Amino acid sequence: MSALAARPASPRRGGSPVGFVRDTVLLTARSLRAIPRVPERLLDVTIQPIVFILLFLYVFGSAIHIPGISYANYMFPGIIGQSLAFGVIGAGVATSNDMTEGVIDRFRSMPISRLSIISGQVMGQFCEQVVGMVIVIGLGLALGWNPHLTPGHAIELAALLVFGMLAFTWMGVLFGMLVRSSDAMQGLGFIVIFPLTFLAGTFVPIAGMAAVPRAIAQWDPISALVAAVRQLTEGYHATGSWQLAHPTVAMALWCLVIIAVCAPLALWRFNRKLAS
Amino acid sequence: MPRVTALAIQTNQLTKRFGAFTAVDRLDLSVEQGTVVSLLGPNGAGKTTTVRMLATLLRPDAGRARVGGHDVVTESEQVRRLISLTGQFAALDKNLTARENLVLMARLRGRSRSAARKIADELIERFDAGAFADRLVKSLSGGERRRIDLAAGLIDRPYVLVLDEPTTGLDPRSRQVVWATMRELVTDGVTLLLTTQYLEEADALADRVVLIDRGTEVASGTPAQLKTQVGQQRVDVVAADGEAFERLTGALDGSFDITPLPEHRMVSVAAPDEVADLARVADTVEEAGIAVDEIALRRPTLDDAFLALTGHAPQTEEAQEQEVAA
Repeated sequence: MSALAARPASPRRGGSPVGFVRDTVLLTARSLRAIPRVPERLLDVTIQPIVFILLFLYVFGSAIHIPGISYANYMFPGIIGQSLAFGVIGAGVATSNDMTEGVIDRFRSMPISRLSIISGQVMGQFCEQVVGMVIVIGLGLALGWNPHLTPGHAIELAALLVFGMLAFTWMGVLFGMLVRSSDAMQGLGFIVIFPLTFLAGTFVPIAGMAAVPRAIAQWDPISALVAAVRQLTEGYHATGSWQLAHPTVAMALWCLVIIAVCAPLALWRFNRKLAS
Repeated sequence: MPRVTALAIQTNQLTKRFGAFTAVDRLDLSVEQGTVVSLLGPNGAGKTTTVRMLATLLRPDAGRARVGGHDVVTESEQVRRLISLTGQFAALDKNLTARENLVLMARLRGRSRSAARKIADELIERFDAGAFADRLVKSLSGGERRRIDLAAGLIDRPYVLVLDEPTTGLDPRSRQVVWATMRELVTDGVTLLLTTQYLEEADALADRVVLIDRGTEVASGTPAQLKTQVGQQRVDVVAADGEAFERLTGALDGSFDITPLPEHRMVSVAAPDEVADLARVADTVEEAGIAVDEIALRRPTLDDAFLALTGHAPQTEEAQEQEVAA
């Protein structure tokens, strides 16, 4: 025990920016280690996109005709947008489960920045989403998606997807902290996010929808995302609202707003949650 | 380490409510530096809630708590550098191995990768955990997890170590490891706040015991003082049958302070002189030729302590769970 007693106290504080980055990296690495050890978590982010790809490509798609574009090329940008949005549910469920783990208490009682605990959570979830997205895109390419990308557009698309996943992960982490249980998060996802992913011009054009869903779809952030992916891959232009006409700019703005709102709220909630 | 005061822990009218249920009720507690204080109480007494407030995991509703002179609410950053809490439920990442957990905690406390590995090795050896150090925490037994959890709390030598029911549900081997470690830490001068349900544990380790019930202090003192307050030892004599019970009561009444318990055919005798009283009771029974099944000297239990000091039996776990649910 003399070895223990002789040890000096922590040489470093959690408050500095360097400490914050270091703690975030350590906590992210911790989350990533769980991916190969709990592979079923990856299934959560890939199973739904796969179901919808199969359903729309081989079942409903034959009845949907969109002028000037093959249905596979129309639908896969929609699937990508939908997968990204489902990431909110995935991150929310994982977060609400993780927050009940005893290890979070250990982190909270340690002299490290509390923001680093959340950013570690976000980065871990984000990496899971990226792996899921790579699987979905790979599956799309294998099943007949044929995107027409210039190198410039490819970079723009990748940047937009990364930014989008980061923003949606923050949103999911916030929701995961607000809900009472992971079941409640599933419910919230099914009632709110699920319909929004269908309204977003994912599988059928917004222009053909009835007045009320059309109005919602025109300002649904997922619509901007789907329209942006479609514009970058196919040069396909949607119309109907400002964000649909300028989808990449609109999506970037949405991401900024989502992060600016969700990150501070998540920190506030984290400090309050178990402390209340 | 932040500047500290002579009182390692001091609470003043500390209060925490969960809805209508008051878990901690105006608790005043003080722990001097370098001493071992045990919070003794049944399930639901408010022990865990108290230590979670001290470790900055819960915000008090009223009153104040200081660790090393730093307020747990307004100076939580300093408090977190002074205190290490090991809870009843292992605070480890279950998808990491025991060793990976220790390395992660050491790195989060600012150690380099190689220094963190070295600390993990030392702690694994210290806690006799080599056999399971490289297994995922989710596959470890409760006792193994608790040992690793305690090890994680000792990466830095803490100023105040708070152990929340460290041996509840542990196998005897793990309990011995935990007790031995606590004794060594005390020798090193660490201030220890220990919650327990076991009088025996408080007796073995603590300089001072604070008995709490329903979130408030009922009694406090050295283990010896508390036991005197709780009441003396008793000799319980169980008669062989109903007739023997009648004769037993008659034989002992007058010479001893007795409590007959007819439903158990038992007479409970106050034994202020302990073993000497046991011998006297046995002699009396022998001389009268009464058939008895059992004569036993019994130490006061926590139940006796509660009965003596609070006038009611400790709450059952179910009652506590109902209160928490409500």
